[in-house]
Amino acid sequence: MGPVELLHMSVFSQSFSPCGRFLAAGNNYGEIALFSLSAALSPEATELNQKPILTFTAHEGPVFSLLSSDSQLLSAGNGEISAWSWNELTKKNVKPLWTKRPNYKSSLEIPEINSMAINPRDNSLVFGGGDNNIHILDLEHGVFKSVLQGHSDYIHCVNVREREGEILSGGEDGTVRMWDSRTGQSIHRIEVYKYESCARPQYGKWISCLTTDSDWMLCGGGPSMSLWHLRSLSPTSIFPLSGCQRQAAFVQDMILAVGEGAFVSHCLLGGEVKAQIPCTPQSLNTLQLNTNSTEHRVLTVGGSSNHIDVFTNLSYRAFSLSF
Amino acid sequence: MGAVTDDEVIRKRLLIDGDGAGDDRRINLLLKTFTKWCNSPGSPEEGFTQYQRMLGTLAQCEFSMGKTLMVYDMNLREMENYEKIYTNIEQNITSAHEKIAECKKEIQRAKRIRKNRQEYDALAKVIQQHPDRHETLKQLEALDKELQQLSHIKENVDAKLELRKKQFHVLLSTIQELQQTLENDEKSDNDDSNQESPTDSGE
Repeated sequence: MGPVELLHMSVFSQSFSPCGRFLAAGNNYGEIALFSLSAALSPEATELNQKPILTFTAHEGPVFSLLSSDSQLLSAGNGEISAWSWNELTKKNVKPLWTKRPNYKSSLEIPEINSMAINPRDNSLVFGGGDNNIHILDLEHGVFKSVLQGHSDYIHCVNVREREGEILSGGEDGTVRMWDSRTGQSIHRIEVYKYESCARPQYGKWISCLTTDSDWMLCGGGPSMSLWHLRSLSPTSIFPLSGCQRQAAFVQDMILAVGEGAFVSHCLLGGEVKAQIPCTPQSLNTLQLNTNSTEHRVLTVGGSSNHIDVFTNLSYRAFSLSF
Repeated sequence: MGAVTDDEVIRKRLLIDGDGAGDDRRINLLLKTFTKWCNSPGSPEEGFTQYQRMLGTLAQCEFSMGKTLMVYDMNLREMENYEKIYTNIEQNITSAHEKIAECKKEIQRAKRIRKNRQEYDALAKVIQQHPDRHETLKQLEALDKELQQLSHIKENVDAKLELRKKQFHVLLSTIQELQQTLENDEKSDNDDSNQESPTDSGE
């Protein structure tokens, strides 16, 4: 991989292994790199430990989304989803378990898949992308169960509300829709840009970041990032972050958000920005917290650079892994 | 067995520097002086001086042995002291570990509480924006009463209208009937008069 390609690399997605010792990251060249966290975090780590232990080309197009189930790594490429076994990957065997592609209405265009989520209730995979629809794939039987239609433009992000079994999706058309996973009907529709307090017409109305805590929802993108109470469907706090946020997460009593801007923003639920921790990439696309392992409990962020920053303590950047 | 311990003794004596060698030399010197003194034919004063010198050497040996014993005692006591301090520190370390674990749990609890408080505050902010429930209920009651009054009035007016309509209807129908009767009477009068005149002209 030449220096020019490294310069133009963007990391779009990350996922931690179920044992918590490995990190998989997908970039815009369709490659997935596997990093060993236990080697990189050990006291005798060297430069070499910050390089991937395995890099392979998973898809033709960029890997926009990565997700781990109990034993598999699911990756989304151009219109297709591949599953890889974590055990095989750690043994450097890069044969996918399966690759599936849902039926798209028109066979001319192949829409990209932007986001995936697992619904633990019925062990199904929910994903959405460029064809404005949300597809549900049953992971046990491997069949596509249903298609949820309703968005009028492509879908940026999907998430699952675990307690109620609902699917949340945010898209380019500026709406956040809530769907019942069993009936496939759209329950609610929130047009975030219509609320004066959050709207930022200079950026647009698209929603690129959606995360939920069963009771609360964070959404942002064109409009400012805002915290919504889902029972009453009302915005409770607006976060004064410049730039558009691409991913956010609820961590204990704080909210971490990344997006345009070379920093990770720490915010409180009340709407104040507590801290902004600087990072290497100029703008960040993905943020993941390793909850699968207690000894490697790190936060990793990736964006428009071939470096992935690792935070062992949330307050400062410890080191960077690089492709 | 005796040879081994002898070796040990010899090794130890060779290893120990300083005072040990001095003491050894002193004891040997004392023995030599003693045998010389016993076998010496010299004058009684010389013998006495030599005797005094030997007593001095003996005292020196005793003194150095006493010193060594005290140093040994001191070392033993220092060792005990260090053992005590060591166990103390071990205990402190374990209790500090436990305290750290407790504090970590406290932090988790506190974070959860803080999160709940913040969620509560956020919701409270939204709720405050809406008007008070009592106010709204009172307004609703007042509106209800007004509505009732107005419908009452409407009913009254409707009833009055009905009554007037009926009265006018009665009046008009009576007038109509009278008109009819008058007309009929007129017509029958005319007929009568017409019938009379042809019979009159016929005669």
